[in-house]
Amino acid sequence: MSIDPPFALECLGIEKSYGPTKVLRGSDLRVAGGEIHAFLGGNGAGKSTLIRIVSGSVAADAGTVRVGGAENFDRSAIAVVFQELALLPHLSVAENIDLPNRRSGLGLVRGRESRERAAGVLAMIDSGLAARALDLPVASLDLHERQLVEIARALASGARLVLLDEPTANLTFGESERLFAILRRLAGQGIAIVLVSHRMNEIRAVADVCTILRDGRTVVDRRSLSAISDVEIIEAMGQKAIEHVESDRPEAAARNSADGMLRLTAGSLEVRALPGSIVGLAGPPPGPMDLINVLIGAHASATWRIEFAGSVSAPRNPATAVRSGVGYVSGDRGSKGILASLPILDNIMAGTRVAKRWTFVTRRESVAASEALRRLSIKAPSLDALPQTLSGGTQQKLLIARWLQEPPRILVLEEPTRGVDVGTKREIYEIIRRLTLSGCVVVWWSTEFAELAGLCRTVIAFDHEGRPASVLTGDAVDEVALAHATGMAA
Amino acid sequence: MTPVSAANPAAHPSSPAAPPARASVPKRLLLAYRTEIAIAIAIVLIEVVVSFWSPQALSFGNIANIAQASAPLVLMSLGVLLVVITGGIDLSVGSTFSLTGMIAGLGFSAGVSWPTACLAGLLVGAGVGAVNGGLVTFVGLAPFVVTLITYAVAGSLAFVVTNGHSIAILDPDFWQFNGGSIVPGVVNYLLFCLGFVVLVEIFLRKLVVGRWVYAIGSNDKAARLLGIPVSAIRFSVYVSSGLFAAFASLLSLSYISNSEATSGSSLMLQAIAACVIGGASLFGGTGSAIGAMLGAVMITVIQNGVNLIGINSFWQGSVTGLVICVAVLIDRVAKVRG
Repeated sequence: MSIDPPFALECLGIEKSYGPTKVLRGSDLRVAGGEIHAFLGGNGAGKSTLIRIVSGSVAADAGTVRVGGAENFDRSAIAVVFQELALLPHLSVAENIDLPNRRSGLGLVRGRESRERAAGVLAMIDSGLAARALDLPVASLDLHERQLVEIARALASGARLVLLDEPTANLTFGESERLFAILRRLAGQGIAIVLVSHRMNEIRAVADVCTILRDGRTVVDRRSLSAISDVEIIEAMGQKAIEHVESDRPEAAARNSADGMLRLTAGSLEVRALPGSIVGLAGPPPGPMDLINVLIGAHASATWRIEFAGSVSAPRNPATAVRSGVGYVSGDRGSKGILASLPILDNIMAGTRVAKRWTFVTRRESVAASEALRRLSIKAPSLDALPQTLSGGTQQKLLIARWLQEPPRILVLEEPTRGVDVGTKREIYEIIRRLTLSGCVVVWWSTEFAELAGLCRTVIAFDHEGRPASVLTGDAVDEVALAHATGMAA
Repeated sequence: MTPVSAANPAAHPSSPAAPPARASVPKRLLLAYRTEIAIAIAIVLIEVVVSFWSPQALSFGNIANIAQASAPLVLMSLGVLLVVITGGIDLSVGSTFSLTGMIAGLGFSAGVSWPTACLAGLLVGAGVGAVNGGLVTFVGLAPFVVTLITYAVAGSLAFVVTNGHSIAILDPDFWQFNGGSIVPGVVNYLLFCLGFVVLVEIFLRKLVVGRWVYAIGSNDKAARLLGIPVSAIRFSVYVSSGLFAAFASLLSLSYISNSEATSGSSLMLQAIAACVIGGASLFGGTGSAIGAMLGAVMITVIQNGVNLIGINSFWQGSVTGLVICVAVLIDRVAKVRG
């Protein structure tokens, strides 16, 4: 294929192994300037690895990478938004956005100029954040704000090639929309954009062309998105199509007693959740996090009053919460969930050991843990392996498995399907559906309104200040209503 | 172990799809202890190489010598190890060692019985550990800074209490503490040393609290949210570290019979090095008691070897540094390879 001008990015026959594991076995990715290119594949297909190879942080075993037609290219012509954020936590937001884009480390830092440039870029995505947080250290921001900073840094780089690995995983609907508008504008300026996302509607809305990876091989190479159906995409990724979350809507276990009922009140607002029901939380982080922190005993709250099984009580600390049957899967898997240097066995049993006040590590534990792995079809090399041997989606299942030894009475989930592929997503829905049959009340925070609409008959919507704004119930729970209730409607 | 635990069919109601197989017990031990086995082999190799120059290296007398000389370091390393696994560091153990020796020595010169003098020494260790643990856990200061402070303070107090004079200890009963045999046929220092290594190893592997020590070093936010008593454990590891340093000091005191204010000054870095050689990461979350013991023995073996070969003892530090470097590099390569 001789096309001029050359592709903005051309990866041919890339191979990469980590130890005995072959992650990439000859994958191609060709992206033209001015297009938004959806780069798709299931968890563990090798997308992130290929992006790391392009960025230069990982060396390929074989294959060639050309940028603008040249194999020797300037790395600074590429900007990458990584999935696991790569920010400098102690530097300010402005410094994080602007400093990495300075070509030379020897030049003087022109404080004001640098700050203004950063402010300009960040304001395009979130003017509120730009006004409030420009001089704060990045460490003081929450996950979704850090994500915005990471994106702003890539956008400020002036690169001709921008790769974004699941940039919207931590964003709200409105923020994603603004990001897409910026991406379209950049594409209009001839910049090539590679976008990794698991959200089909998003891909359809913003991307022109797609490449699909499966088991480290390119199975669909540069196909126009108008020439491929959702079903074809999902099949190419090697996953069965998900019909609709709706059909999985779990029915509350028919128990009418107050036993096991969760009652949440904030001012005049009240939610009663029967055993087996799923309560959705919608809105930007501060609001849902406030309620979640009360439920899991991490912080007290002035807003919320919690009544469980007839008695008024908020757990005093995480230990009391765990022992009274509250499980928690953090949305910040890396820094608040996985125990990375401990084997899979310890990761699975951690919650049970606390809940049951076990003293000894017994052989019974390894039986229970293998059983849990089997039940959730988690493929692990062994119980003694470290969690890092598992893909992101599988680690997520591992964190859920932590709470299934003894079904909890309340399970709090933060974005449990963030960044996992369609197949794993469906497995997680199924795991939670089965759990609700045992009478567990599930509290589920998601920024994907389609998911909440499919799963929940009750959703608490929070506004931008983090106040609980309204409660939607029954058929009133749909995407449009949620967008309005949370003030995120475009 | 017994047929009872093996016969537990109720636990597998149906297992058609085999869950991830656990390898046989010996295989798993081989895998879990591969770092330790490698160090043990390295120690033997060093001894063999040294014996080319100096045949007495492999004599019973010299090996007993090495065991005796490494016992205090092994005990101190165990304490430091617990702190290191939680992701902390204890720079004060050398000073604690010295101060303990001086306080116990004062007790002996005041004529108290040897158990009382030892108790006073252990209290010193617990006290320094509690100050470290308190400032780290409840005030939230960085472990490096806190233990740097107590290193300086305890180190200077060791001089202050006797105005810098050393104390000779002339209580023959106390010598039995180190050289006697509570268990017939096993000399005490060996018993204490191996006993504590086994206890700490079992604690870390088989007790839930032991796993929590790792969990804190691995991810303390996650540990907190899981309901693990992070503060209590973190405080306790610093107290344990102080106690182990004090115990090490008493053991060494009963052998040397002379207490000096500088006795522990070289030990702190050696103890940290022992943990690192034994596979502990200073970022926390990894390490083992057997590894720390072997690390301590290796450091002693190197010092012994340098002496036997007749190299100027000023080179000891360089050789030890080189060995730490090699150990860490091998560990790094092994981890990258998976």
